[in-house]
Amino acid sequence: MTTIVRTEGLVKRYDRTVAIAGVDLDIAEGEIFGLVGPNGAGKTTTLRILATLLEPTSGQAEIAGWSVNRNPNEVRRVLGFMPDVFGVYDDMRVWEYLDFFARCYGLPAAARRRIIGDLLDLVDLADKRETYVQGLSRGMQQRLCLAHALVHDPQVLLLDEPASGLDPRARVELRELLRELRTLGKTILISSHILPELEELCTSVAIVDSGRVLASGRISDIEQRLRVGSVLRARVLADGETLEAARGWFAAQPEVASAAILRDGTIEIGFRGDEPQTAALLRDAVAGGLAIASFSRAASDLEELFLQVTGHEESTPSEVSS
Amino acid sequence: MIAALRARRPRISMPGITAIGVKELRGRMRGRRAFVSVTVYVLIVAGFTWMVGRILEDSARQQFGFNPQFQSASIGRGIFAALMFLQTLMISVLAPASTAGTISGERERQTLDLLVVTPISSVAIVVGKLLSSLTWVFVLITASIPVAALVFVYGGVAPDDVLRGYLVLFVTAIAFGALGTFFSALVRRSGAATGLTFVAVLVSTVGLSFIWVFLRASSAFQVNAAGVPTADRPAEALVYLNPFVAQVDVACGAEGGTGSWCQIIAEVTGDPSVVNQGGGVVAPVAVPLGKGGVVVNGGAPVVVNDVAPTIGGQRDRYWPRSVLVLLLLALALTAAAVQLITPTRRWRPTRPRVRRGRRTEGTL
Repeated sequence: MTTIVRTEGLVKRYDRTVAIAGVDLDIAEGEIFGLVGPNGAGKTTTLRILATLLEPTSGQAEIAGWSVNRNPNEVRRVLGFMPDVFGVYDDMRVWEYLDFFARCYGLPAAARRRIIGDLLDLVDLADKRETYVQGLSRGMQQRLCLAHALVHDPQVLLLDEPASGLDPRARVELRELLRELRTLGKTILISSHILPELEELCTSVAIVDSGRVLASGRISDIEQRLRVGSVLRARVLADGETLEAARGWFAAQPEVASAAILRDGTIEIGFRGDEPQTAALLRDAVAGGLAIASFSRAASDLEELFLQVTGHEESTPSEVSS
Repeated sequence: MIAALRARRPRISMPGITAIGVKELRGRMRGRRAFVSVTVYVLIVAGFTWMVGRILEDSARQQFGFNPQFQSASIGRGIFAALMFLQTLMISVLAPASTAGTISGERERQTLDLLVVTPISSVAIVVGKLLSSLTWVFVLITASIPVAALVFVYGGVAPDDVLRGYLVLFVTAIAFGALGTFFSALVRRSGAATGLTFVAVLVSTVGLSFIWVFLRASSAFQVNAAGVPTADRPAEALVYLNPFVAQVDVACGAEGGTGSWCQIIAEVTGDPSVVNQGGGVVAPVAVPLGKGGVVVNGGAPVVVNDVAPTIGGQRDRYWPRSVLVLLLLALALTAAAVQLITPTRRWRPTRPRVRRGRRTEGTL
């Protein structure tokens, strides 16, 4: 697969604040690539640089072989962008809104008519054609904004927090829409701090925090690469000192990296071992006299992965003393 | 693929302007609003013209000993001048008001980003917005032409005078419109942009002209070694940005180069022919007033009474310069506005940059 979006050592600094401190991304054509990170991690900055809206302080960014700095106009032609916050014009009907952006891309009248019809069908707004844009619901505006980013049939879509502010139903609809777009061959770069949203959708992710990419690649690859082991949860029928003794027992076992008592009394165990060793640990615990009510492997999901990855490094200071 | 992209990459400056123009005009001309505003504008202009006409007619009736034809012509000129001043005043308010929110409004509604990521250039965005706002103002101005044509009933004003007056009006709209666009691009909030624009309009009209009057007053009593008042007056360029003075010159042209409006222009331009000396009668002069004309400073000022005025003696000496300067200002302001909204620009004012940084930081 060919790379379609590439950034190298992307840095954006505002006076004393560093928004991103060297972001490297490599996104193959046809992927749905998730940019995950907490608020303030640098997701929006990265997307805005790719969308030619911000100049990086240093570093390179390329889309479809065009440099974002040197050929912004070429980049804009292959790019559809949906910002995290966007407004709509008053006094504009839905079809006029799309017509306006289609004109901005220099589409001739016949093509505009056809594409507006197609896009309204795609985002399921065909019956809202004559409605004023400000009269649409938030979810509909979001879909209209997505449609506007598609008028020129771009190769790459940059979506900044597309699901924020949407109700669950609208979210599902959006997800379906993005899947459909992927089948149309679009490469989609999507940012979010809501992880489950991306997990079901993305083929690859990059986890960013404090302006750096902490891990990137296929979700399963990252899991394999970064996971110290699995997280086990044991519910022991004990409290106070006996619970503490149980925790101590677990902590002393081989392959156990950590053991902690959670607020609900469950002991969470960071375990490096594989499944047979997990079985052995449970057997030994029972044999050792611990009253274990439940014992399970915590579900591995992106959220957990994310917490693990971002927890690895002490958060990089984003303030640079100067 | 790259070659294909290059091949289908048209310069879409014009489509960009068209796109913005169509969108803006659709919004502006939708519904009754446009119709109502044109009607109100024309009604104000017509009502004012009618009132001025009544006043001038009444005062003419009280005078006697004048040739009625001459009186009619004088009423015509009076109405014409009044009409042009009123319209200059209205356009000086309406043109900046219609542009001051265009770009800041996009920022406030958070739609500017959507626009900037399309391939239309910043030039197209600024020029498209300016032109579409101005189109509305131009419609108003044009709608008043039939009212202005009423002066021909009285006479005293030639069609080319009306043409000059309207040219100055259109340029006023362009210059003050560009001023509004500039502040709209500079400041985030539309309210602040509108406020700053009106302050700038006031400075360029009332403010600079008042400075001119002040400087003129302080130099009025200076005499040279021979005891002759020096014609050391402030530069006329100080009032180039005041379209009212340009309209005074147009009115002067309608007077055939002589008359009370011309005296104001003579005062501004320092025209030697009307330098007042020792309480003598200020009078127009029949000497050619081109370059190398009568030198005042150090020499004897020419004071001529009762000389038959030469038609066109002072015509078109001042307003074309004012119009040129206003157009240059509009051009410079438009270019600056383009710079301000180009995201990847080299130059950036310091303060907005800091603010922008913080803001973006907050929305990461």
